[in-house]
Amino acid sequence: MISFEPSEDQKLMIESVAAFAKSALRPKIRDFEKARQIPEAVRKQAHELGLGTLLVPEAAGGPGLGLTTAVLLEEEVGAGDPAAAFGFGGPGAFGLAVLELGDEAQRARLLAPYAGADGHSRFGAVAWGEPKALADRPGFATTATKKGDVWVLSGEKAYVVNADRAGDYVVFAQVDAAAGWDGLGAFVVRRADRGVSPTERSTTLGLDAASFGGLRLDGVEVKEEDRLAGGADFGAALVRFFAKQALLVAAREVGLCRATFDVTREYCDTRKAFGKPIGHFQAVAFTLADRAMDVDATHAMVVRAAAAWDAGPEGALSGAARWERDALLYTAYAVSYAHEAAMRCGDDGVQLHGGAGFMRDYPVEKAMRDAKQLALCAMTAEHADQLAAALELGQPLSLGLVLPTPETQNAFV
Amino acid sequence: MTIEFSVSKRQLEMREAIRGLTKNVIRPQSLAWDRAHGVPEDFLRNFAQLATSMGSSAMRSGLGEEKGQQEKTGGNVGTIMASEEIAWGDAGLLLCLPGPGLGGPPVRGSGTDEQKERFFGIFKDMSGPLRWGAYGLTEPGAGSDVAGIRTSCRKDGDYWALSGRKCYITNGARASWTVIFATIDPALGRAGHRAFVVEKGTPGFSVGRIEEKMGLRASETAELVLEDCRVPAANLLGGEEKYQTKEGFMTAMKTFDNTRPIVAAMALGIGRAAFEYATDFVRSNYALQRHTPRYAAIAERLARIGRNLHAARMMTWRAAFMADQGMPNAKEASMSKAMGGQAAIRACIEAIEVCGAEGTIAKDHQLLEKWFRDIKVYDIFEGTGQIQRIVISKRIMTDLRAF
Ligand SMILES: Cc1cc2nc3c(=O)[nH]c(=O)nc-3n(C[C@H](O)[C@H](O)[C@H](O)COP(=O)(O)OP(=O)(O)OC[C@H]3O[C@@H](n4cnc5c(N)ncnc54)[C@H](O)[C@@H]3O)c2cc1C
Repeated sequence: MISFEPSEDQKLMIESVAAFAKSALRPKIRDFEKARQIPEAVRKQAHELGLGTLLVPEAAGGPGLGLTTAVLLEEEVGAGDPAAAFGFGGPGAFGLAVLELGDEAQRARLLAPYAGADGHSRFGAVAWGEPKALADRPGFATTATKKGDVWVLSGEKAYVVNADRAGDYVVFAQVDAAAGWDGLGAFVVRRADRGVSPTERSTTLGLDAASFGGLRLDGVEVKEEDRLAGGADFGAALVRFFAKQALLVAAREVGLCRATFDVTREYCDTRKAFGKPIGHFQAVAFTLADRAMDVDATHAMVVRAAAAWDAGPEGALSGAARWERDALLYTAYAVSYAHEAAMRCGDDGVQLHGGAGFMRDYPVEKAMRDAKQLALCAMTAEHADQLAAALELGQPLSLGLVLPTPETQNAFV
Repeated sequence: MTIEFSVSKRQLEMREAIRGLTKNVIRPQSLAWDRAHGVPEDFLRNFAQLATSMGSSAMRSGLGEEKGQQEKTGGNVGTIMASEEIAWGDAGLLLCLPGPGLGGPPVRGSGTDEQKERFFGIFKDMSGPLRWGAYGLTEPGAGSDVAGIRTSCRKDGDYWALSGRKCYITNGARASWTVIFATIDPALGRAGHRAFVVEKGTPGFSVGRIEEKMGLRASETAELVLEDCRVPAANLLGGEEKYQTKEGFMTAMKTFDNTRPIVAAMALGIGRAAFEYATDFVRSNYALQRHTPRYAAIAERLARIGRNLHAARMMTWRAAFMADQGMPNAKEASMSKAMGGQAAIRACIEAIEVCGAEGTIAKDHQLLEKWFRDIKVYDIFEGTGQIQRIVISKRIMTDLRAF
């Protein structure tokens, strides 16, 4: 059957997260923004709702929810404050990287601490991007060299979400320089390790309650057990990681679209000009109608993509052989669509508020800034499009092309 | 209920069968039908029989599904999927299929049992001559502005006398009957509307010009003329009581909630055809993996086309899913139509651009230029893109009755 209706369990979870977003996030968005963080009490609440650890498997103490449930809940958080989702404690992108690239033992060992009572004060991060592209070869400047039985990492990573808050990182480094983008390795390092130092936190356009920075690595030693091998196919696992991470970002964008549409619709209902509500002018109403379609379409696409991952090969509409390809394709479509839709909703939100939209008394200018910032997280629309095109054309997924790299376009991970 | 995107084995088999048919039988004849301004009767008969044997009346009438049918055919979602597949092969064919066509939903939705029996009964026997139904709402002076129709109707004993002109009526000339919308008094607006089933051969009912069109040339589009045409009172759709309330006009509109997602799905079939064509073109004409700026731009373009088609497809599935569940879906139906039409038009336009100058040369890329001609009307009939936005606007703004 084709159905867009969440299960009863999912509805209950959505309700409680929506209530939390409405009471604890929405009224406080400007406070979070000023403080440039989410206060501990709110993080604690979010942790108790399980929001930071949705995907953490039961073996590691998490709820082990599917991606479909996760995107539904992320949407609700995003409707409250899309920045908050980055500012809650939890493993974040680190968790997803460990899930996709690690083995079972690593998953349990590395993720279990996040399920504990102090999980709301633990952050994980992924150090992927770098400040500059290398001129002489494809790949990263950060290297990992095997010395005896440890790996030694050196270099500087950039565009790292929560770099300054994180206790654990997955760092991507060049293991085999000659192999270019196919010569990467993934390593778990800890803030406490010798030679690890976050660089200065950046001031950004939007998502102020999140934190964006970088990471310096000076001869950091990593044990073999902390290398994430990526299973049978490291490249494929890496693409899956990016796709799913981007899908979670897209889910937050669905929330942003919806919340921004709602306040804008409300404003157009009540603001009067030339003797009637501005929403009764066709140019305004049609703009709103277009944004309403964006809200519904992004939601449907994100849900469709998540459901494709959860269904696995057996449940795939187009057959087992194509399931991962289709899951990736639907994800790529959802991601680029959501990136652009969020921007349109933010932009038109400000536009239809007129001068008031430009003022910080109203939430729409924040939505517009957040939308642009979100579109630079995990994967940009351009990368998602390259990924989709490669899948459509049946090409091999060349990592340097379909993933955000300094050579093409950096993205915050 | 849960979020789910799977289909039964039976439906999957049906889709595969339709795919095989569209690819191997329909698509290869598509251009010939376009040039001949029609699909040969033999083919239509075989196809209609096949569709019925597959259990889908929707494929035959192109539209709507009764609740009891859903099990067998996959309901509205099944219809949507089948419509996209067939339109991928040839969109004109769907409009040519014998059966009640667009006339089906109003008769089904508003007709009395006697009328349903009488008007649908003629389609049961498929061995005789082929038969069609049609839907006559549009007039030279009123298309989008449905309330502005001027075709008049006046009660005269056991008859109604109808006078006026209808235009752009799909299958209008060949139809055994046409649902004609008329008004008892234009000043009454929608409340004055009446719907009649007017049978071919009724004195005063004649066919005017047959239109020459940009695309969908295999489909017949006709003008219908009513000159003091006397229609039996028994053909007033739903009977007199039906019009004591304001439902008269709603009869016309109810049709659209059912049909818009299907029309959107047809558009997506054409759009997908063009998209796949362009993708194949790029695959065989570019040195893939070479990171030329031109290639990157083309790749991004393909992705954009694919994503917009996918977005609209999700909207049509959702609107149809809601219909199957009996949820009101007027807004969602309009959304699917607005998005489907636009995404598919963009796909057809851009597919030509992706293929470059060659894309417009009829000799080599005949199908591309045909799809470009066929697709435009999908943002026009069954309510233009603007009209869909009016429907949506009214459902999102408070107290918005008209602009
Ligand atoms: C191939 C084909 C088959 C058809 N088949 C049938 C059929 O079987 N039966 C039938 O009854 N009709 C049929 N039609 C007619 C079709 O439904 C109408 O053409 C359509 O509804 C538009 O009406 P119109 O042509 O009068 O355009 P108009 O209503 O004159 O519209 C012209 C333009 O103005 C815009 N516009 C109009 N009103 C507004 C408004 N209030 N706000 C903003 N913009 C507005 C429209 O969107 C459009 O862009 C068919 C048409 C075609 C082309």
